[in-house]
Amino acid sequence: MHISGVRTRGRSFSSRRLFIRISQYILVVCVALTINFTLPRLAPGDPLNYILGDEANSLNAEQRQQIYRELGLDRSVLQQYGDYLLGTLTFDLGDSIRFGRPVSEILVERLPWTVLMIGPAIILSALLGIVLGALAAWKRGKAGDASLLTGMIILESMPSFWIGMLLIAVFAVNLGWFPSFGAVPFTGTEGGLAYFVEVARRLVLPVTTITLATIGSNFLLTRASMLNTLGEDYVQMAEAKGLSERAVLFQHALRNALLPVYTNVTLSLGALVSGAVTVETVFAYPGVGRLLYESVLARDYPLLQGVFLLITIGVIAANVLADLTYPLLDPRARSGTRSEVS
Amino acid sequence: MNTPIARYLGFTGFAILVFMLLLAILGPFIVPYDPNELIAPAFQPPSWSYLLGTNDIGQDIFSELIMSARVSLLVGVVSALIATLFGVIAGLVAGYFGGWAETILMRLVDVKLTLPFLPLMIVVAVFLGPGLITQILVIALVIWAPMARELRSQVLTARRRGFVEAAEAIGAGGRYILRRHLLPNVTPLIIPQFVRAANTGILMETSLSFLGLGDPTVKSWGMMLFYANSRSAFLTDAWLWWLLPPGICITLSVLSFSLLGYALEERVRPRLRTSWRFGASERSANKVRPLKREPQEQDPESPEPLLSVQQLSVEYVTANGAIRAVDSVSFSVRRGEVLGIVGESGSGKTTMAAALMQLLKPPGRLTGGRMLFAGNDLASLDAAELKRLRNNRIALIPQAAMNALNPVYTVQKQLVEAILAHQKIRRSEARIRANHLLQLVGITPDRARAYPHELSGGMRQRVVIAIALANNPSLVIADEPTTGLDVIVQAEILELLTDLQSRLELAMIFISHDLSVVLSVADRIAIMLEGKIVDQSSVNSGVFHPNHPYSQRLQAALPRLKSKHTIPFS
Repeated sequence: MHISGVRTRGRSFSSRRLFIRISQYILVVCVALTINFTLPRLAPGDPLNYILGDEANSLNAEQRQQIYRELGLDRSVLQQYGDYLLGTLTFDLGDSIRFGRPVSEILVERLPWTVLMIGPAIILSALLGIVLGALAAWKRGKAGDASLLTGMIILESMPSFWIGMLLIAVFAVNLGWFPSFGAVPFTGTEGGLAYFVEVARRLVLPVTTITLATIGSNFLLTRASMLNTLGEDYVQMAEAKGLSERAVLFQHALRNALLPVYTNVTLSLGALVSGAVTVETVFAYPGVGRLLYESVLARDYPLLQGVFLLITIGVIAANVLADLTYPLLDPRARSGTRSEVS
Repeated sequence: MNTPIARYLGFTGFAILVFMLLLAILGPFIVPYDPNELIAPAFQPPSWSYLLGTNDIGQDIFSELIMSARVSLLVGVVSALIATLFGVIAGLVAGYFGGWAETILMRLVDVKLTLPFLPLMIVVAVFLGPGLITQILVIALVIWAPMARELRSQVLTARRRGFVEAAEAIGAGGRYILRRHLLPNVTPLIIPQFVRAANTGILMETSLSFLGLGDPTVKSWGMMLFYANSRSAFLTDAWLWWLLPPGICITLSVLSFSLLGYALEERVRPRLRTSWRFGASERSANKVRPLKREPQEQDPESPEPLLSVQQLSVEYVTANGAIRAVDSVSFSVRRGEVLGIVGESGSGKTTMAAALMQLLKPPGRLTGGRMLFAGNDLASLDAAELKRLRNNRIALIPQAAMNALNPVYTVQKQLVEAILAHQKIRRSEARIRANHLLQLVGITPDRARAYPHELSGGMRQRVVIAIALANNPSLVIADEPTTGLDVIVQAEILELLTDLQSRLELAMIFISHDLSVVLSVADRIAIMLEGKIVDQSSVNSGVFHPNHPYSQRLQAALPRLKSKHTIPFS
């Protein structure tokens, strides 16, 4: 009566799916580049204003012609587009009007600060959102679930920067517990324990703000996903096996409920970077988001476009990360092992 | 047809929204001062003349706040309207016409959803120049995409419904179908989509204005916060009356749309309904009296049955009153005996199995009767006692065993877990035991590390049986263990089950809708109809003696190979 293991190798769509994914990402980068290329040329006024800023107004006609030629603006649109793509590939994003330095250089300086701020926030928000969401689903319909749900929906309705402003008003100004401005102390030298403590203290409020602003979506998604998996047969089976409530909840229900949440967390990086724009602005935090705000205020177009491109690439990197790591969590997504035989 | 909590939330949302809209409409008539006029010294605290105090240049904040309602709500709602319009058109076109239109539109949606939305809005807004129209356009540009995707999938679902296919079959034109059949089906979904878009729209207006991309000539709540931030409102106590009110107004407006959206969505998708019971403990109704001792080992010679169910009743509490799924059911199972329970779907068989395992989930609850297992009432066991009982003494082979295995763990792990829950042995020993069990049900140990999706339906069923037997239970409840399998596999599984039952001297409750299957395995049979056991009888070599008219009809419906009236060969 032995049935030998018949490993049926089902058709694997993974290579096709991979191709679609990659082409999707290339397409997104192309769209972002095209937006960057077209907007200054479609917008009203002389494109020189968008490249040189107010300086362009002081030029006479002859100087303008010369700069046009130097920048290749007198060539055909297609040639310009080609030049632009080539420049981007070699990390030549033009010069910032405000800082008078290459855009790529400024981006490299600012990026680590944003990563330093967003990284802990993602982890905190995901952990708290998942644990609370799982508990709320487990105690669904009870008073604890109802109050958590209400609280999270209200938190979701608050603008993130407003949460930041309130935290500053209370914890920085009134209580004086944490500094609310910048990322590094004004005085003192870099390095050393004291320096790192100061940097960490300046991270507390922005990280808290982003955590509070994003925890709601993680909570709501985990709760909904848990409610789905709690109704699954394998959860009942786990209970019928005589496992403890905690094992049923965490090892069976939550383990499966996490799959969509994980995807959401990695994909929400894009939204997070967007949130960072306003939050970094409130805290005058020298990251990429604040840089976007500065470039808007100064109408520093090359810088603005550079930041947009960088954030787009960051979002795509998050997508790739999600694609690559998801199969680690879900054996069904591992290629070459799918089969449906009964 | 909403649940009370949704109605309550929906009403709250509606009330807040009406209040905000009234503020927006009546604003100019009720403000005490012109919000742009410098009417008082800077940073006046709230007083009767200046309800919310004044800002750094001496403008009345209360007037500003009320006048801002207009712009904030207008931008949010108008951009949501535009986005809804585009989203609906794109979704309908993509979902209905398919082909290249769908490919292009959905590609566009994917690109849009991948691009970081706030930076995108900022870049476009900077080049278009700040202003209300710009704000509305960029917000609409960003939020139409998810709506298009959602509507497309709804259209695809609606298209597969019978009546649309029927209309197509009788040659109805595309536009006719779109107008008469698809739009009415999709419209109820558009409203919650719009509400959610308005919610996002208001938040985005706030962010854009806060970054200085609002119209400088008018005020909105986001603009107020922009000014407050750029002029460092925190440094004085003014933040209390300068920061809090606009933020609260934004939060309330967004919240009102969220709550409305929740209520509307629940109306459209009944599956989202949660039953809310405050304060009531789930299991309290089940508790008869706490019993601190282990279910005692029973003398095999004793005439007492292993399981004795007396007057068991289970009800499901619904909005329209309680429905009695199991109605005063009594039966007993002796050691080593197979009791077959036959009934059509909805007769309460599965609910009864769940009650025996104490796996009833609200809204189902035990309302009466006793279930004596080895002399102890199952309903009176506490959590720890239940944990020791399940799988160890009574094991369940659940209905739809195909889905009873957790997709993310190997079958070995799921077996080991069951073993370690009850036996104090090392993990390595448990693995060896797991492989033995797999062999027992006819699976070679080299498949032990397979995931459920790598196994066939029959093999998954065998694994579930192995899990049920992992701790040598004295009673196995098999709930439709062969349903969903093809006939040959069904026969194999039945053979396996009967073989194991007699070898391990298991008592078994075999539940099925299939009388012929039950007759082939059961020593005794009980017929269930509408929650009641209407007939019980012993089975002798595949034949039983029905008393109730229902079971007589059941038996008469059995296909027979040997008929009483044999047709003589000519």
